[in-house]
Amino acid sequence: MIDDATLADLGDEELAKQPFDELVAALQRTVQQLEAGSVGLEESIELYQRGLRLHTACEARLRDAELRISELGRRGPASATADDG
Amino acid sequence: MADRPLSLWDQLDHEPDDAPEPMRAPAREPAPAVRPSPRILRVTDLNRRVRGLLDADAVLADVWVEGEISQPSFPASGHCFFVLKDASSQIRAALFREELARVPVPPRHGMQVIVHGRVRAYEPQGVYQLYVESITPAGAGDLHARYEQLRTELAAAGLFDDERKRAIPRWPRRIGVVTSPVGAVWRDIQNVLRRRYPLVELLLSPSVVQGAAAAPTVVRALQRLYAQRDLDLVILARGGGSLEDLWGFNDERVVRAVANAPVPIIVGVGHESDVTLADFAADLRAPTPSAAAELATPDGTQLPAILARYRDRAAAALTGRVEDRQRFLDAEARALSRLAPDITTARQRAAELVDRAARSVEDRLERRRVGLAAVRDALRTLSPAATLERGYAVARAADGSIVRDVDVLAAGEALQVTVARGTVDTRVERTRAHDSEDPFR
Repeated sequence: MIDDATLADLGDEELAKQPFDELVAALQRTVQQLEAGSVGLEESIELYQRGLRLHTACEARLRDAELRISELGRRGPASATADDG
Repeated sequence: MADRPLSLWDQLDHEPDDAPEPMRAPAREPAPAVRPSPRILRVTDLNRRVRGLLDADAVLADVWVEGEISQPSFPASGHCFFVLKDASSQIRAALFREELARVPVPPRHGMQVIVHGRVRAYEPQGVYQLYVESITPAGAGDLHARYEQLRTELAAAGLFDDERKRAIPRWPRRIGVVTSPVGAVWRDIQNVLRRRYPLVELLLSPSVVQGAAAAPTVVRALQRLYAQRDLDLVILARGGGSLEDLWGFNDERVVRAVANAPVPIIVGVGHESDVTLADFAADLRAPTPSAAAELATPDGTQLPAILARYRDRAAAALTGRVEDRQRFLDAEARALSRLAPDITTARQRAAELVDRAARSVEDRLERRRVGLAAVRDALRTLSPAATLERGYAVARAADGSIVRDVDVLAAGEALQVTVARGTVDTRVERTRAHDSEDPFR
């Protein structure tokens, strides 16, 4: 897993490919770090911007999500490894 | 129960395209104007009326009947027909192909059973019969006894222990589902997840979930899922039914396969009251397949609000940080300004201290001065000058020695007498000693 700073620095396209739960977790950690108040003002602003970016990415993922369905034993991306026996 | 062609009577009441509903009771009266009296019914009309009467009876629509199966027949249609009888009466019974596939044991002649179904009229033949939906072998609740015995055994083997239960992952990415690919259950699961958490990926491992074939098929379907990588969770689901319908989920092979799941597994079978042994072995039991899908995922409809709360918390924290900074600076400024009056106070105190020190030195000097004057006075009192001032005189012989005794003097000898304010040079005329110690007595 990549760290939160690197994650938030990814381009839009790369960021959209990250697992949703990791984006949420990174957002949670960022907010907690901000709230802990152990960082300086400069870093707080950086953390805040990171949080905004993660939040936007999460929202976009939720908005655009479409249930992906595949079936074992059928031709399809997820069934490639399926053992038909 | 093939539908017969529409009768004239039907055409009076219905539009030609309007197909008759088989369950509907023909409650309306025929139009009297076109009927001669007494009313003459066609056979078809009569049977239809009887069928309507039976269909309208709530008790006959849902009956449990105990009896003995007689002369079962299995024609090419795949259905099964038999007679259900007791000592004094009998009724024709039909078990259609779909229901036949679900009964745990096929009907045999002489078998004592309890059947569940409804009574309807079969119009083409003018008979009423029992349409059977399920058959339970009568005789001491065999299935229940087996269920209890197996439950005790598997519980003793530790398969149902609470310590075995794993937590369901909060944010699953890929969920494997074992259920029938046809029917409401698989559709319900998809619908729930589409509405609730469409971020997840579903992998169906299709299985038969009904009848004798269910158990081995379910086990195989589970194992195929278990061989998948990157699976976070498994759901095993089927709709509700009788104890016989669900029997596959009480099969020891299925229960063990559930217990051996390499990832957390949710079992959702039936509706609320149906608890199978597979339920006990699961990490989590869901009352229905839809509930299983809900328990497997976070509520995505709540997520935008939750995410917004995080964003707001971040904003509040940053605002807090800025305000903290401001407060810190304010405090610094106040601390600095507090230092100024401190200097004044210190200076004042220093001045006071200097004053006190000076006063103390002066006091001491004064005391010493007073002491010195006293000493000087005393000294002055003791000096010969003061004595001379009081009228005494000092006599010295010619050699300068002070004369205290007359014996050292002779007449005519020079004598120097010093008084307070001068010296007299004289000569001794005569000497005379005193009688007492006190020279003035």
